[in-house]
Amino acid sequence: MSGTFLESTTMGFARAITRAMLSEHIAHQRGLLQSLDPRVRVVGLFSLVLAVILSRKIAVIGALFIGALVLAISSKVSLSTLVKRVWLVVLGFTGVIALPAIFVTPGDTVARLGSAVITEQGLRTAGLLILRVETAVTFTALLVLCTPWAHVLKALRALRLPREAVTMLAMTYRYVFLLVETATQMLDSRRSRTVGVLPPAEQRRMAVRTAGVLLSKSVETSNEVYLAMQARGFRGDVQVLSDFRMTLWDYTALLLFLLSGGLAVWKGR
Amino acid sequence: MRYDEERHRRGECAMHIPDGYLSPSTCAVMYAGAATGWYASLKRLKRVLLTRVIPLISVFAAFSFVVMMFNLPLPGGTTGHALGVTVAAIVLGPSGAILALSIAITIQALFFGDGGISTLGANCFNMAIVGSLVAYGAYRLIAAHAALSSKRRVIAAGIAGYLAVNAAALLTAIEFGIQPMLFHDAGGPPLYAPYPLSIAVPAMMIGHLTFAGIAEAVISAGLVAYLQAADPGLLRGTSGLWQEISTRVELRPTGGSLRRLWTTIALLMLLTPLGILAAGTAWGEWSPGKLAHAANYAQSVNAPAAIAPRGLQRLSKLWTAPFPAYAPGFVRSRSLGYLLSAMFGVGVLLCLSLLTQGMIERYRRRGSPA
Amino acid sequence: MPPLFQLRDVGFHYDGISALSGLSLQIAQGERVALLGANGSGKSTLLRLLDALYFPAQGSVSFDGTPLTPERLREDDSAMAFRRRVALVFQNPDVQLFNPTVWDEVAFAPLQLSWPKETVIAKVNETLELMGISQLRDRPTYRLSGGEKKRVALASVIVLDPDVLLLDEPTATLDPRSQSQVIDLIQGWKGSSKTVIAATHQLEIVEDIADRIVVLEEGRVAADGAPADILSNHELLLRANLVHAHRHSHGKLTHSHPHIHSHSHSQHEH
Repeated sequence: MSGTFLESTTMGFARAITRAMLSEHIAHQRGLLQSLDPRVRVVGLFSLVLAVILSRKIAVIGALFIGALVLAISSKVSLSTLVKRVWLVVLGFTGVIALPAIFVTPGDTVARLGSAVITEQGLRTAGLLILRVETAVTFTALLVLCTPWAHVLKALRALRLPREAVTMLAMTYRYVFLLVETATQMLDSRRSRTVGVLPPAEQRRMAVRTAGVLLSKSVETSNEVYLAMQARGFRGDVQVLSDFRMTLWDYTALLLFLLSGGLAVWKGR
Repeated sequence: MRYDEERHRRGECAMHIPDGYLSPSTCAVMYAGAATGWYASLKRLKRVLLTRVIPLISVFAAFSFVVMMFNLPLPGGTTGHALGVTVAAIVLGPSGAILALSIAITIQALFFGDGGISTLGANCFNMAIVGSLVAYGAYRLIAAHAALSSKRRVIAAGIAGYLAVNAAALLTAIEFGIQPMLFHDAGGPPLYAPYPLSIAVPAMMIGHLTFAGIAEAVISAGLVAYLQAADPGLLRGTSGLWQEISTRVELRPTGGSLRRLWTTIALLMLLTPLGILAAGTAWGEWSPGKLAHAANYAQSVNAPAAIAPRGLQRLSKLWTAPFPAYAPGFVRSRSLGYLLSAMFGVGVLLCLSLLTQGMIERYRRRGSPA
Repeated sequence: MPPLFQLRDVGFHYDGISALSGLSLQIAQGERVALLGANGSGKSTLLRLLDALYFPAQGSVSFDGTPLTPERLREDDSAMAFRRRVALVFQNPDVQLFNPTVWDEVAFAPLQLSWPKETVIAKVNETLELMGISQLRDRPTYRLSGGEKKRVALASVIVLDPDVLLLDEPTATLDPRSQSQVIDLIQGWKGSSKTVIAATHQLEIVEDIADRIVVLEEGRVAADGAPADILSNHELLLRANLVHAHRHSHGKLTHSHPHIHSHSHSQHEH
């Protein structure tokens, strides 16, 4: 029964929830990244992502990728997690997009496949793209897997992102779970009453109806949250407690991050 | 396409650009554009109640996020994912929609790796900002002054959704397509997204993204119909029908007439080719040596996919001819020429129609009794 | 002593549908009042009016002698003072838990009221300890059980040490153990100077949590008195839709007994 609205959407929801759970689990392990101040994690990992897109040499990006692997292993993120949840997904998307480039890019022929020609430049382009995406996604995934969402937000706020934006990010994330729970309940109850596969038109109707109920619930919830915020003294200015403290280890790590990134950009220019 | 099903099964949306597809300078430009949109939206919304805005935008962003995960079966046996940008624009108005969608996209990028960090600006610009504006503009124009419960609004929402998603897709395709021409290695091969406009644009538009357009149309039309029955008050904000503020959603749509909106869009379309040029020259990406390469490369890969009508060919030459010989090769590429002609043409039509409308209205006002 | 809350002829409506009309009520400091009424009788609306989240369309709501008006709540000082003294716990805890973690949630109100940082930290830890949820401090708010959510919601207002607690259906949807925990908490306030106004439709908990019952029926006060009197007035309870008449027959006899909704039908005797 794959591919139907009920099945695939419910699975998508389940995937989101398990991803959140996984992140919470890993974030509480004692590993390298977990030991750092969240601000250092955010700045460090994002600067490495920047280095990935600024570099122009495959070898340099490859080195960054290995760096990501080292970070992962020392932060208790298993390779199988990375493979399953990060690398294969990227390969499925970018891999397929990059494949035709091998044939289409003009340059020196390296091999022939029937009437199609594989060029060296094509291989380089495709390889560069895939490696870049994989490395950058790995760094971002490491940040989110090893850091509780609340800390990611606090770090962003401490790094001078506008307060309202961070508050909205926090609230959105929190209410995604409420809506996913509601939607899952609706879909599950529908699934238990459905035998076989519904015709697409009926599935569409169900999807729209579910979305409609979610919409009503969303607006209603937001109205109530508004009142609840007011009742606890909210007047438009979000006040927060900042309690991050940088240690010597944090400064050292930050320096290492920035140096590696800088080196990569310089070597890869 | 098999990989499509695989990705759809995993609930991913295809329009989110991952890290590595866009060069750093492209990312920076797109971030600047996005930041402008965010700043303008936040300023507009602050005029309303900030206390009200924060929970409303947040929960709506959560709603968009969840709707983006719906795997909708479409006519023809395929499936697609909607964005939810049209409903957001209809209920919240364009500023609210811009913020709500941007937040949803940010969470998708950070938390799910759907879309990159360096490309967050581009993704928000394409889907949240341009998507919201096109959805809002199209909806208002097509629905005009129809009654809240009329079928016309349902159809308007569907069309608006389709246009919005395709506008976002077109922008995405253009951002991809200019990469190889602007950012490539000494030997010629592209450093980032590998396909030129002639491949990128058709691939994105004709491919599964058109399905996303239909998915968005289905959800938008369906939700407007649902709201007409269940909660018509939510439609009042952007209906342009009367000044009464609905008790539930107190967000007012941006003030100002539709005319102003369309004038802006028309001007933007006229200016776009100049913008692309400016972006290119500003980054100083071209040295004489590289120009030669670029020209060769562009020529070799830009074989037109089909025989274009002669008139269009002539028009596109009109575009590229005025540029001096030392201009970078990509400006002379035929496919870019078509694209620019199309945009220019639409821009001209829009300006003409707005002018005509303005003249008719002035004539009517003069003729009518005081 | 003047009444803490004074409602005079209050009217309120949603989109044209009347929720309250001609409602007059006085509540003195230190009273423990139960607002009894079926769903839709206006209990929640009344609580929100008492918490100055809504303002009456007709009549007036006064707190401590001065009327609660939008203007008064716009002034920072009087608004902050009011919010500290009067606290509302919503029926649906999900709308009250909008911060990332439990600790953030409990700290929200003190931070909004500009308490100094050290005081906030101390008070929050103290409150978490009091409610027995210290171990949940870093838990995301979306990952709590129903009972835990309720306790966090309560903690998020108790941290302010308010003078008035407005509770909207404090025990609804809770499992029996959580329910008794909440009731214990409310009973703990007996004899303190705190004023507790709890809205509920559950008759069986009313005697535990209140010394005075106000029955709402269709937006106005139908009865106001001691629990013993109100709860024995079956006709009133029936009319207010708080009990249902249970008809059964034995042989040729058919009689009806008023039943509290949660009563198991096998338990009644003749």
